[in-house]
Amino acid sequence: MIQAALVRPGWWRALAYFLIGSGFGFALVIGLRAIAGLDLFQTEQTGYPHIVVPAITGPLGFLVGIGCFDYWFRWASGAPTIPDDHADHGARTWRDYFKVNTDHKVIGVQYVCTTFFFFFVGGFMAMLIRAELAQPGTQIVDPGVYNGLFSTHAALMIFVFVIPVFAGLANYVLPLMIGAPDMAFPRLNALSFWMLPVAGALFLASYFVPGGAFDAGWTGYAPLSTGAPLGQSFFNLGVQFAGASSVATALNFLVTIITMRAPGMTLWRMPLLVWANLSTSLLVVAATPFIAGVQFMVLFDRVLNTNFFESAFGGDVISYQHIFWFYSHPAVYIMMLPGFGIVSEVISTHARKPIFGYRLMALALIGIVILSYTVWAHHMFVAGMFSWLRVPMMITTLLIAVPTGIKIFSWLGTLFEAKIHLKSTAMLFALAFIVTFTIGGISGVMLGMIPIDIHVSDTYFVVAHIHFVLFGGSVFTIFAGVYHWFPKMTGRMYDERLGRVHFWGTLIGTWGTFVPMHWIGMEGMPRRVADYASEFGAWNLEISIAAFILGAVQLVFLYNMIVSWRYGPKAGPNPWRAKTIEWQVSSPPPIFNFDEIPRVVGGPYEYGVPGARHAIMAGEKAEVKPPERTEAGIGAAS
Amino acid sequence: MESASVAAGAHTADDHDHHGPPEAHQSSRIDRQTLGILLFIITEAMLFGAFFASYFFLRVVANEGSWPPEPFELPVAVAFVNTLILVSSSFTMHWALESIRAGNKRGLQMGLVTTLLLGGTFLFIQLNEYIHVGFSARDDAFGSIFYGLTGLHGAHVFVGLTLLAIATTRAFRGHFGSDAKDHLGVEVPGIYWHFVDVMWIIVFTTVYIL
Amino acid sequence: MQGVPYLRLLGLVVALTVVTSVIMLIPDWNGEQASTAAPKIDQLLDVAIILSSFVFSVVMVMLGYSIHRWRARPGDESDGAPLHGNTRLEIAWTAIPTAIVLILAAYSWIVLDDMEATASNAMPVEVTGQQYAWSFEYPDENIQADELHVVKDRQVAVEMRALDVLHSFWVPEWRVKRDAVPGAPGSGIDDDFVVTPDRAGTFTLVCTELCGLGHATMRAPVVVHETQAEFDRWAAEQEPIPPEQPQPAAASSA
Ligand code: HEA
Ligand code: HEA
Ligand code: CUA
Ligand SMILES: [Cu+2]
Repeated sequence: MIQAALVRPGWWRALAYFLIGSGFGFALVIGLRAIAGLDLFQTEQTGYPHIVVPAITGPLGFLVGIGCFDYWFRWASGAPTIPDDHADHGARTWRDYFKVNTDHKVIGVQYVCTTFFFFFVGGFMAMLIRAELAQPGTQIVDPGVYNGLFSTHAALMIFVFVIPVFAGLANYVLPLMIGAPDMAFPRLNALSFWMLPVAGALFLASYFVPGGAFDAGWTGYAPLSTGAPLGQSFFNLGVQFAGASSVATALNFLVTIITMRAPGMTLWRMPLLVWANLSTSLLVVAATPFIAGVQFMVLFDRVLNTNFFESAFGGDVISYQHIFWFYSHPAVYIMMLPGFGIVSEVISTHARKPIFGYRLMALALIGIVILSYTVWAHHMFVAGMFSWLRVPMMITTLLIAVPTGIKIFSWLGTLFEAKIHLKSTAMLFALAFIVTFTIGGISGVMLGMIPIDIHVSDTYFVVAHIHFVLFGGSVFTIFAGVYHWFPKMTGRMYDERLGRVHFWGTLIGTWGTFVPMHWIGMEGMPRRVADYASEFGAWNLEISIAAFILGAVQLVFLYNMIVSWRYGPKAGPNPWRAKTIEWQVSSPPPIFNFDEIPRVVGGPYEYGVPGARHAIMAGEKAEVKPPERTEAGIGAAS
Repeated sequence: MESASVAAGAHTADDHDHHGPPEAHQSSRIDRQTLGILLFIITEAMLFGAFFASYFFLRVVANEGSWPPEPFELPVAVAFVNTLILVSSSFTMHWALESIRAGNKRGLQMGLVTTLLLGGTFLFIQLNEYIHVGFSARDDAFGSIFYGLTGLHGAHVFVGLTLLAIATTRAFRGHFGSDAKDHLGVEVPGIYWHFVDVMWIIVFTTVYIL
Repeated sequence: MQGVPYLRLLGLVVALTVVTSVIMLIPDWNGEQASTAAPKIDQLLDVAIILSSFVFSVVMVMLGYSIHRWRARPGDESDGAPLHGNTRLEIAWTAIPTAIVLILAAYSWIVLDDMEATASNAMPVEVTGQQYAWSFEYPDENIQADELHVVKDRQVAVEMRALDVLHSFWVPEWRVKRDAVPGAPGSGIDDDFVVTPDRAGTFTLVCTELCGLGHATMRAPVVVHETQAEFDRWAAEQEPIPPEQPQPAAASSA
């Protein structure tokens, strides 16, 4: 019994292999140090190789144990590959969601649920931050813990919420949209997913090591990070897992989009969500290795005592920032472009209109991709970098407003002479996104203007910008996407009334929290401080109260999703009467998506065009025949 | 690497207790594995890019004197010989692939084994160089980036050798055939191996010659 | 597209732009001004606010009008008009924002050059940041202090040093900020800057780069003297720089 549990892929074997992996790493370090005649345990502040190495080998053991590599190991050893019986495909009970599964729909759900878990944990940290900042002075946490809180808050939100949740949503709908039976590399897809909880767990595990959670900010600037306590190594490693996951997913999306589109699905007939993920994936593939590289260098400086950033030994402190931002600026578009895709789908569907200027919309995405590689140093205007680089970077930075503006205006054009359905929460979030993101973008343009940035850099003005674009931008689009595709993913409808409560609470909460941050920033409140001058006390109290409201309404969302998933009224295949392919199959879709690949015959958004079709489904002649395998989907869980 | 689920569509016909997915429509001339490895190579090149960026910052921006800085010296001659060894392994890899294209399984096996041996020799000489070079990664930023770049490359050689070892095992078990789809398992690691070679030429030129 | 009151909408955009700009221009967002750079930056901000108000008004009016006018009645299952685009419109909303941002870029560049113009009589000060305190050296007077003292209307040429990690120098009333980088002075690091205080008084120097536990409290008083004489009097009371000060590790790169 126990033996069988340890042989079969699954949680028991994962636990066992995790322990074996950790033990192996530990023994390796101790053994090598013994051979080299060093102290067995190196416990200077940054070292701890006997913890850092197991923190790599343990998670790898976990991934092997849970079953991500079983097939590949068999294949690599030259054993005959057993014919795939699709046992790891589709979910029959809720338990299947806790196993390695190669079905893109299951993986999509796994992604969304896992990332929202981290959203709530990261949001909980934000609540603690706001509780501390509600009054001047330090009341709840000391400065060390405070620094850890905002660092982990941002790391969780960025690396294991916003970036992967988009990958999750796209994982679910993108193959359906392009008429593919699955992603190009289903097993790689599963591995991508399982690296995520590992990354999140590493970030959180840093709370339990000597010296506490990593506390050099999510940017982890050297040399603060190279000299920080052990927790920082967990940041370095967590970023590697999250980064590997997102690179693998991006490869998968690119190959899927390029090689697996249904017949007739030319580039100019792809829904904009597909275009958006194509662009995002291009960013991920070419930019993410930079953060991987630079976090490795920090880790080497910390554990091996190398001197990449050690100015006393010829290292270059500022090179950290260049390499970091060469990834992390594109990363902000990695966190926004998929949202642009979602908003395009939602607006055209709920406004019953073709997307205005579809081709320019797609080209604008590509324009953003190209430009975003040329602006990284706008985060370094005051960093002491080469001063000649500032003006060119300012110009490219400001020019990004142009393709972004094209998108905003085209959405507005889409609303022109439309039939705007405001009943749907998805649409409300999409429309609010336009307003809020425009404000966040405009504050970004102000930050891009060097003299203004010199004044407001590293103040709450930047914090306000971050949250207007990331919360009012990315997260609003995430909510729009989750509401929009909830019926597709679960086969059930959510409660629109609770949805509206969530929407209005979130909108008011966001503005109440993040608008005043602009003001106190310009007046002189720096960011990343646990304590501040008492003149900012009143606004900070207001901000904290608004933030608590914002936090509370997220619980409404959680309630709505969980209860509707179980008890919501059944949704038909196409409650929004949308045209794209994912809505032409049952909700949730059949286990292999299609019996036969659909044929694409027109654009994706031909609302109002008489007789226009996007796709002809295979079973269309026999439309009366109900889709047979719906019980294999999520609906079965309830 | 991922051919099974694609192939799965093919054998569903005679599978009775379940239904397989429909065959995906192939919307591009390039096959998935090849495109996948090409994109992966872009990623890898960018990872090297991060270390090259660091290299140039350290060399051009942070360092004022000569390069390599005063006491350090690099064994260029040894590295050059090593370069020749690695480059020749690209040719043997090509030979292996051409052989299986022509259906010559013996040639495939020999080609792969030679490539493996050459690659192994490269790694061995590199390790030897590390032992005798006279400085460590802790000695100055120069040492760090020297080991950083060559070590990163060494790790890639190691991965490449692992992939080739897998291909070799399978070659001796007779898994490959002359049809394009029957020797992807050689072609894909081969592309990767050529990438590792080309990358070495860039690393070598930058670190030892420039 | 009949029945859309374009002129009235345009009027609405203009009105909203004016109202938003006026409301946004009333408060002194950046607070007190105490250097020659401050009014220039604030004016640049004002221009940015006006142009942004215009952009924002366009978005709000288009959005508000569409929702008001084309909201679907309950039960209406019909589709909107199948408009696919309008090339002239698309060119316009590419070209106008391009023009706006180029104007902003050009103006920013002018202000930047202006702020960074150096004067010949500048007073050099070496500012050193370390966890978690600031210190100041005056090479001309050969003194050191832990307060920053400068003279009204005389340019200060600040040279930044950091002994451990990054710190950042910010006096909000001066609107200047620059990181102190370990390893500077050294090639490639450009962390020196100039500022000309033009109001006497006492201000606070704030560290704005996360530098560890004491980051929030790493502050130093800044005193701007009315006259050079007043400054000299203060300088005379300060300790001299010890002659054989051991070079900080950071400066002696190997
Ligand atoms: C989703 C994430 C996201 C997005 C989309 C953006 C978008 C932009 N960001 Fe932002 N940014 C962040 C996330 C994001 N940012 C984060 C997290 C940080 C802080 C990192 C840290 O230090 O911790 C940051 C910091 C940051 C800085 C550095 C501040 C500092 O530390 O000193 C700058 C400076 O230039 C900047 C600029 C911009 C610009 C110009 C855009 C543009 O892309 C915005 C373009 C959009 C519009 C302009 C609106 C719509 C356009 C129109 C309606 C057309 C017409 C408009 C005009 C003519 C103005 N950002
Ligand atoms: C997508 C990214 C994202 C998101 C969604 C958020 C969301 C929020 N953030 Fe965050 N934030 C960042 C990204 C993000 N942030 C980044 C990048 C930084 C910079 C960090 C740095 O300087 O390094 C930052 C920094 C930052 C600061 C500045 C810290 C400082 O500089 O000192 C503050 C302060 O108010 C803040 C507040 C908030 C608030 C109130 C929310 C709210 O929107 C959160 C809403 C609340 C919830 C979603 C939680 C609801 C849950 C509960 C009520 C509890 C229930 C609990 C369980 C079920 C476990 N954030
Ligand atoms: Cu010094 Cu913050
Ligand atoms: Cu940026």
